[in-house]
Amino acid sequence: MANRLVIIGGDGAGMSAASQAKRRNPTLRVRAFEKGPVTSYSA
Amino acid sequence: MVDDTDALIARTPEEFRRKLDIEVHTEHQVIEIDAKNQRVAVQAQGAPLRWEPYDELVIATGSAPIVPSWDGVGARGVFAVKSLEDGVRIRQYIDSEQPRHAVVVGGGYIGIEMAENLRHLGIETTLIEQLAEVMPSLDPDMGALVSQGLRDLGVRLLLQHSVSGIEVKSGRVRALQTNAGIIPCDLLILGLGVRPVSELAHAAGVKLGVKNAIRVDPYLKSSIPSIWAVGDVAESTNLITGQPGYVALATVANKQGRIAGLNLSGASIPFPGVLGTAITRVGTLEVARTGLTLAEAQNAQVDVVAVRIQSETKLGYFPDVSSITVKLIADPKSGRLVGGQIVGGTGSGKRIDTIAVAATAKMTIHDMVDLDLAYAPPFSDVWDPVQIAARALVSKMSQ
Repeated sequence: MANRLVIIGGDGAGMSAASQAKRRNPTLRVRAFEKGPVTSYSA
Repeated sequence: MVDDTDALIARTPEEFRRKLDIEVHTEHQVIEIDAKNQRVAVQAQGAPLRWEPYDELVIATGSAPIVPSWDGVGARGVFAVKSLEDGVRIRQYIDSEQPRHAVVVGGGYIGIEMAENLRHLGIETTLIEQLAEVMPSLDPDMGALVSQGLRDLGVRLLLQHSVSGIEVKSGRVRALQTNAGIIPCDLLILGLGVRPVSELAHAAGVKLGVKNAIRVDPYLKSSIPSIWAVGDVAESTNLITGQPGYVALATVANKQGRIAGLNLSGASIPFPGVLGTAITRVGTLEVARTGLTLAEAQNAQVDVVAVRIQSETKLGYFPDVSSITVKLIADPKSGRLVGGQIVGGTGSGKRIDTIAVAATAKMTIHDMVDLDLAYAPPFSDVWDPVQIAARALVSKMSQ
């Protein structure tokens, strides 16, 4: 199974994917890259 | 299955790291996806480019406001709007430049919300829309009610008007050129909708679909193995037509993110699709829609029958009773509900969820008539307005 997950974009969609993937597979190494200054769920 | 409801709460990068063991690098821009070697090029300010390898990649690059190619679109006082953050920039401009005449181009969600806010600030506001009524995501007969709501707020509406250009003086917007003449303004808001930010994906060879959104399968995989796409950059399947569509809504984005996250870590869950359910408010008027409009049904070559009824939000002896207008759209053969729209006073809008649930469950309008919905005088008449509409549609179909 995969072990390196990369997310492009730190808004609701990307961070929802990051969170769920990590919860389901705690051995994943998750890195998210966001070009802006903040992450957000409500945008 | 673990379902992370905590994830619905906004978190800082530090919280992601500490609570979830997820690294978030803000002010880091991915400038290239090398799909062949499964790596992305990451650029942070003042740092050398670095390559980051992946086994699975999620593209969630979102959407950006549509910016037309008119001359002067970059002038001071012109704002292409997508989200709240744009509102902050506009507020700074208003505070420092004290504009007196605003023009809003586009009568969708963003345009009407901007127009209302500008009126609250006491700024003279004109809204320009190409179509016959505002709110193109509603049918024109329902949009007309919203148009009236905007006029009641003191917004001047120019419907069926198109824009040809922007006049600029000393670097700042001076007027908007339209097919009906020049409209002077010192603030110009462009609410022309959004487009998916899919250039990065496209350059990597990922297949695009509707409106250049990333084409995804039901599991939210893109056309390239190990690359997934979610949110405003991705397509979503229309629940009624089964066709791919483009709906840029936070509700859809979060659901797609959740499912892609589960799938890429071993699950196999299809995303069922969307109705494009949405709600907003103009003054005291609540506006909501779900499923197909008549125009969308026609485009998808779906045969439909529709009805529109006007009723009240609660029993008439309450001082805060309001008018509510409900439109329902159904398949004339099976009676299956395919869409609905609501415009009315306080207590109207969230009734759209009844219609959205019914459409998702593939209910017919006959099923809706028999639904056991809540009733007490402060909330509804014994027949909920949604059911009054369903009954009207049943009798129209039996004629």
